[in-house]
Amino acid sequence: METLQYTLRKLVTGIPLILGVTLISFTLMVHFGPDKTYDLLGKNPTQEQITEVRHQLGYDKSFVVRYTQYLKELATMNFGYSDSSGEKVSSILIRTMPVSLALILPGFVLGNLFGVILALIAAYHRGHWIDKIIMGVSVMGMSVSFLIVIIAFQVIFSSSQGLDLFPVRGWDVYSFTDYIHYVTVPTLASIFVSLGYNTRFYRAVIVEEMGRDHVRTAKAFGAHPIELLFKSVLKNSLIPIITRIMFSIPLVVISGSLLLESYFGIPGVGKVTYDAILSGDQPILKAVVGLTAIMFVFTLIINDILYKVVDPRISLK
Amino acid sequence: MSTVLDTSTVERVEDKVGESMWSKAAYKFRRDRTGMMGLSVVAFYMLIALGVALGLWGTEWSDNNGQKWEGISSQYWFGTNILGQDIFERAIFSTKTAFEVGLVVAVISTLIGAILGALSGFFSNTWIDEIILWVMGVLDSIPFYLFVAAIAFALSGFSYSMHVAMIATFWTTTSRLVRGEVIKLKNFEFVEAARAVGVPQHIIIFRHILPNTFHILLVQSTIVFVGAIKSEVILSFLGLGVKDGVSWGLMIAESTLEVQAGEFANFYAASALLFILVMAFNMFSDALQDALDPKKVSA
Repeated sequence: METLQYTLRKLVTGIPLILGVTLISFTLMVHFGPDKTYDLLGKNPTQEQITEVRHQLGYDKSFVVRYTQYLKELATMNFGYSDSSGEKVSSILIRTMPVSLALILPGFVLGNLFGVILALIAAYHRGHWIDKIIMGVSVMGMSVSFLIVIIAFQVIFSSSQGLDLFPVRGWDVYSFTDYIHYVTVPTLASIFVSLGYNTRFYRAVIVEEMGRDHVRTAKAFGAHPIELLFKSVLKNSLIPIITRIMFSIPLVVISGSLLLESYFGIPGVGKVTYDAILSGDQPILKAVVGLTAIMFVFTLIINDILYKVVDPRISLK
Repeated sequence: MSTVLDTSTVERVEDKVGESMWSKAAYKFRRDRTGMMGLSVVAFYMLIALGVALGLWGTEWSDNNGQKWEGISSQYWFGTNILGQDIFERAIFSTKTAFEVGLVVAVISTLIGAILGALSGFFSNTWIDEIILWVMGVLDSIPFYLFVAAIAFALSGFSYSMHVAMIATFWTTTSRLVRGEVIKLKNFEFVEAARAVGVPQHIIIFRHILPNTFHILLVQSTIVFVGAIKSEVILSFLGLGVKDGVSWGLMIAESTLEVQAGEFANFYAASALLFILVMAFNMFSDALQDALDPKKVSA
């Protein structure tokens, strides 16, 4: 009951955030966005045709009217039809979102998992050469651009100059083997890029936790070092770890996949959105931006509830 | 007499370098070998960039004098690209582009972050703070690449739209850090003293409190600098980045075609220069953090 109340209160405070995000993105992407009037008209259009097309696209209405219209669409989750393909926006999203998720998820999960494992190893051997090597390699990993990693991995694993094991681009997934076939190289690239950042972050968290009094006490009582690491250290460092993972979810789903999708030619949300920005396909943009904002607010709420689950000392106020 | 001399040779670090935080930090930094190495590499790049800006070298980056894909020679140190342009000249010119992007974004976003962070921290729990926090929350929840793309379109034709977008998203982290520090500082005695003698509020905020957050600003601006250089590469590849001139991102973007044909010179040159600079900057930034943060336990 307490949790429910808390959730509701958080939802209400999330409303200004959703309004802000939608207002800024609406202003940028729709108000100042590309004008599609002349794309839809033939050569030498008459004044009436121009007015008619502008009316169809809703350009003749005032900013406020169009914005409230958008909010109404967002509330009802009805975004109409794409300007470019005429397909229903919701069906585009239903088609592309699973692709993006399937593409991003393995890399995201493994990148964080390996990050925590390496961080535990480094922190356990703190100051030792193992720690130094792990941290040195992490800084090197952080310094390589994502783009370079993608290009290099594609050459190494997919091209005829390299191992030629995986397809260069595309997404023809009908079975699990197809999936592994197409997802491996993008996954390896995203693990490579995120691992340095994750390891450094998690190591800092774990090292800080290792310096606490309860850990010293446990050590003094002769607790086994590995057990100490998992029970006293890792469990208590869960809050920053969860925060980091949760906050990257909404952005990873869209931004993270944009580069991978456009480089590997994978038809996911990132690619669709990017194309929509370039062509000024407003219904798609409105849907994606609005949904991302809502996802963000929900993430904040779930995050706070998870805090409570992990750490009973945190009160829901 | 000799005993006095003996004790004076056993000096503490504080005696040698003074008591101030900055002299201690400088002492600590100078002893950090990786940090000094990073700094010297960054300084070397900066010299290259400065030379390009003054027109000393890198002036022939857009001339296509050579043949397509010439090998390494005394004339073309890194060979030529698909259009017969000298890759070395282009890579050198890109150093200037990288520094321009990094500096502009780092300086402006740090300034905005410092001012708004200080205001929001000083007036914490008032409507000013609420508004600034709301703006930061909003900017943080818009996906970065979509935001840049949208700004690039909204400001179509404006060659600094990429810079604007990066500044708009990067200042929030700085601002949050400054806000936290200012909330802590504003309860200190020196602030109370300043208020007691009637120093105006804006002078308390910007002259008394904000200078005490300078170490945060310094470290944060190096982090933003690296972030800006790395984002430039991806944005230029997506066609949202540098409009005039050449950058490592544009070089890598053009190299994707060459890589398929088995020509790697362009890709290697841009990637290597980018990697070394970012790596050196990361090392410099880490050493700076170690030197400036008294709480941080190094390694």
